[in-house]
Amino acid sequence: MTYRTFGRPTRRTVLRGAAAGAAVLAAPAILRAQGSTIRIGMPTILSGRVAILGQSSEAAAQLAVSEANEAGGIDGRMLELVVRDSAGKPDQATKVTRDLVNTEGCSVILDAEASGGSFAVNETVRDIKVYCIHTNSETSELTAAPKNQVEWVFRCARQGIHDAVGGGLYAANLSKEKGLTRWGTCSPDYAYGRSNTAEFMEYTKRFAPEIEVVVESWPKIFQPDYTENITALLNSAPQALYSCLWGGDLVAFFDQASLYGLFDQFETVAVNLGDYPVLEAIKALPTGIHSGSRYSSTVPDTEANRTWNDTYRAHSPVLPTNWAWQTYSGIKFMVEALKATGGDTDASKLAEATRGMTIDSPFGVNGTLTLRESDHTLIDYPVGYGLTLPEPPYIKNFQMTAWDEILKYEAEWKERNGYA
Amino acid sequence: MVNVEALATCLSSSACIVNQLSSGLIIGMLLFLVASGVTLIFGVLHVINFAHGTFYMIGAYTAYTIYTVTGSYFLAAAGGALGAAIIGVLFERFIISRVYGENILMQLLVCYAFILIVDDLVKIIWGAQYLAMGVPDVFRMPPLRIAGGFVPPFYVFLVAVAVVILFGSVLLIAKTRFGKIVRAAAHNQTMVSVLGIRVPLYFALLFGFGCALAGVAGALAAPVRSLTPGMGVGILIESFIVTVIGGMGSITGAFLAALLLGLVRSIGSIGFPLFVDGAMFAIMAIILIVRPQGLLGQGEVR
Amino acid sequence: MRTLASFWRDIAIAIVALAVLVYVGIAAETPWTRDFLTSLFAYGLLAMSLNLLIGTTGLVSFGHAAFFALGGYAFGLLLQSSGFLATFGPGAVPVAFVLAVAITAVWALVVGLICARLSEIYFAFLTLAFQMFLYSVVLSWVGLTGGDQGLMGGIPRPVFLGIDLSDPIHRFVFCAAVFVVSILVLRVVTASPFGYTLRLIRDNPRRAAFLGINVLRAKVISFVLAGSVASVGGIILALFTSGAYPEWMYWSQSGQAIFMIMLGGINQFFGPLLGAVLLRFLNDMVLAYTEYTELATGVAILLVVLGLRRGILDFVVDLVRNRRERTQQSEASASLKRGPDVSPDNKAATLETVTPRA
Repeated sequence: MTYRTFGRPTRRTVLRGAAAGAAVLAAPAILRAQGSTIRIGMPTILSGRVAILGQSSEAAAQLAVSEANEAGGIDGRMLELVVRDSAGKPDQATKVTRDLVNTEGCSVILDAEASGGSFAVNETVRDIKVYCIHTNSETSELTAAPKNQVEWVFRCARQGIHDAVGGGLYAANLSKEKGLTRWGTCSPDYAYGRSNTAEFMEYTKRFAPEIEVVVESWPKIFQPDYTENITALLNSAPQALYSCLWGGDLVAFFDQASLYGLFDQFETVAVNLGDYPVLEAIKALPTGIHSGSRYSSTVPDTEANRTWNDTYRAHSPVLPTNWAWQTYSGIKFMVEALKATGGDTDASKLAEATRGMTIDSPFGVNGTLTLRESDHTLIDYPVGYGLTLPEPPYIKNFQMTAWDEILKYEAEWKERNGYA
Repeated sequence: MVNVEALATCLSSSACIVNQLSSGLIIGMLLFLVASGVTLIFGVLHVINFAHGTFYMIGAYTAYTIYTVTGSYFLAAAGGALGAAIIGVLFERFIISRVYGENILMQLLVCYAFILIVDDLVKIIWGAQYLAMGVPDVFRMPPLRIAGGFVPPFYVFLVAVAVVILFGSVLLIAKTRFGKIVRAAAHNQTMVSVLGIRVPLYFALLFGFGCALAGVAGALAAPVRSLTPGMGVGILIESFIVTVIGGMGSITGAFLAALLLGLVRSIGSIGFPLFVDGAMFAIMAIILIVRPQGLLGQGEVR
Repeated sequence: MRTLASFWRDIAIAIVALAVLVYVGIAAETPWTRDFLTSLFAYGLLAMSLNLLIGTTGLVSFGHAAFFALGGYAFGLLLQSSGFLATFGPGAVPVAFVLAVAITAVWALVVGLICARLSEIYFAFLTLAFQMFLYSVVLSWVGLTGGDQGLMGGIPRPVFLGIDLSDPIHRFVFCAAVFVVSILVLRVVTASPFGYTLRLIRDNPRRAAFLGINVLRAKVISFVLAGSVASVGGIILALFTSGAYPEWMYWSQSGQAIFMIMLGGINQFFGPLLGAVLLRFLNDMVLAYTEYTELATGVAILLVVLGLRRGILDFVVDLVRNRRERTQQSEASASLKRGPDVSPDNKAATLETVTPRA
């Protein structure tokens, strides 16, 4: 694949050297040979059913690293990205993270795992005290719950509660406008699906108290057939449906639900629909589905975002995704922090530099993204909903939720959960 | 855990009964197509094809490509079956035939290796992203309304194909010369080869036929399920549950068991939505404890 | 039959092995060596205990990882409960350890009693069914187990007898000691008269029954022992990762343990351990050279299974034995002129006894 050839040394050569060392149990030799480059370890998912997301993360991270190197690196020191596959398994993510630090000489970790893996990486970097930015886990508790907070760990990704507030405001308006009171849900049965759906419905009810949830359907993650869930939804005849299915599961659900004419019967709100691989994979995408923001070259609709989209696509055959912009931004924050410490990778110093940092970014609603000081998490990224179109750009009428609204309800949510 | 109220509400509405029964039938039939291959191969060759889900995947991907190129869904379905059959014959000749009569662990390992290899090959050829074929235009129509319930025409077609294949394969094994030869060879290979019949060829063909059944299932599922490398594993596990419940080696047993599981899934999604998978394994465990040979299986199991 | 002397010899070897492990772990310049060895302890115990079933008793279990994971979960959950910590105070870790093994043993007894009556394939599938059933329960019971995210927030490890398991060195030494003791237990069992009974059941269950052996009971005891040792492996992994994850009891984990055994060698006591080491290196090497890890692993498995047709240690032992016999035979044929003292089918008999069987 061509996108691996940019950036400085490729992942392959770095790994090959490391393996030769590992094979003779001579791990320390690698550390000594490290020289002046700074290695960024990146555990992510490159095999199995979500491999496409990991691949887009890798491509985006490589892009950011090569941009940093072309601009002179960290005071002349080059950056190297070392990517390892965890297959999305938490225990494997732990092992890979430890190996990246102990064997491959990585001094910082960019955790591009999904939720399950990121909790495991969180405990690992706490244990071995290595600076880390999570870039793909959206589970609110990862940074909101005090028991998971680590002084030198940050999250550069969407957060469930932000999307829930934005989604709730949007869905409440929709309900009032069209008189929708009976809602149903169909979301994957695992931690992310459950908490995401609960938060969405909670906020929708809060802004439109007259609605009720008449049916909940919980397919397993990666379930190939949704017929039983679709008929269960039909039987309860809700007026609107919320789903946080994602990736290939969402594609299959749409194709199967279309057979039952599901989308002609009620309004559908799908938070994870707005990602290019999903939008392009669904054949005959229905018009007028309410789609949340993931990554779109038109959200925010700026020159900088369109340019980034073109640059990324020129570098990678893998379509840009939500994971791609998050991981790209994670590297950008990391580079700024390294510049601030003069290349010192001490966890506490990097953490000090990262807390409250704001960077210019094509993805920020006002052209900037910030890692909030209080809980080390990302704000000012696009949150909101639009309507689907069957052809590119796929999304129209995007309504951005104002961040002061989001922050207001988030503060109250934290208080209620004893997180504040 | 069991939501009795929801079940009762459903059972009192004809629409709900139609919806859930038909969805149970649909889920069951695709499962049956895959499981029938497993059980056929085991019944005759006494080897467990742990890699059977891979042929489901091969069928789906082959059908996808043929459909994209030709636009004909019927060509695609036939191509899916043929593709799976060809790879199946090769797999039998070069790998599985070397572990006939070996212990179950050797069979397990070579199949495991084959799954890994094909999954990565699919990733190399078709990429890691999910693909969707989309429902062919012929079937792009509103669902039929039966007693208030919804039944998509494509699924009617799918169930019809499965039933035709059920009768076809039972007849093939029971009545045709081919079926008689493989059954005889399974019983006494030396005797049959003495008659001048090339037994390995017949074994390979039977294996290929079993794989073709999985390939058809993959091709039938391709329009509505997303295609990913590794998609075979999930259906493999379910088809083993079906095979064990129905009785290893019994095609009719597999049919009944697939129907049973389909109904457990569709009724379960109303009555106990969070424990549908657990319920399938629980049923398998109960069958193995009470009647280890399965519903219609024969043979010594203790 | 073994003598008491060889029993003491095994203990001496265990003490030396422990000393070497502890030295290597402490002297290591980077944590990598300790990390590698600790995960090897965990997976090594999983594979070695499974081989008590497969290699020694002839019971092909597809659901062995359930006991491995159950040990880890029980240990983690006990220590995460504040009531438990308060009750046992500084004794919490050892009590949790013993209780976790006991809980697993009871579950293994239940599963064993139900499964042991069945023949090969059905036994394999039923053990798999129980494993996947447990997996579904762990996934569904989010309130207790954390569902798919596993036990979160770390496992508290209060200091006991001056041992602080949050300290990497203490933890490593503790895990090494537990590992060596568990291996010693397995060794004593396989080498004891009971071990011979198990092998007799594997080779000829009918004959064993005729000899008055309660075959079912022996199988169940073997099953419970293997499950208990596997749970110790799970506890080590839980200590190491400071958590427990549902993947540990997914079917692929059992499959991996089987692969370790087949790769290393089924007929040699340390075969599975060698398999665990080789698999880890295979994974690391493959990861380093290609992104198509599954393809490379698959080819490697095919080469071992179809090429060697047995595990590597079995292959080496057979090779050495055949060579020795060949020299013996040439000596024998030389001595044949003097007098017939070697049976001609000697070699065939030896070969048959080393063919892997389960």
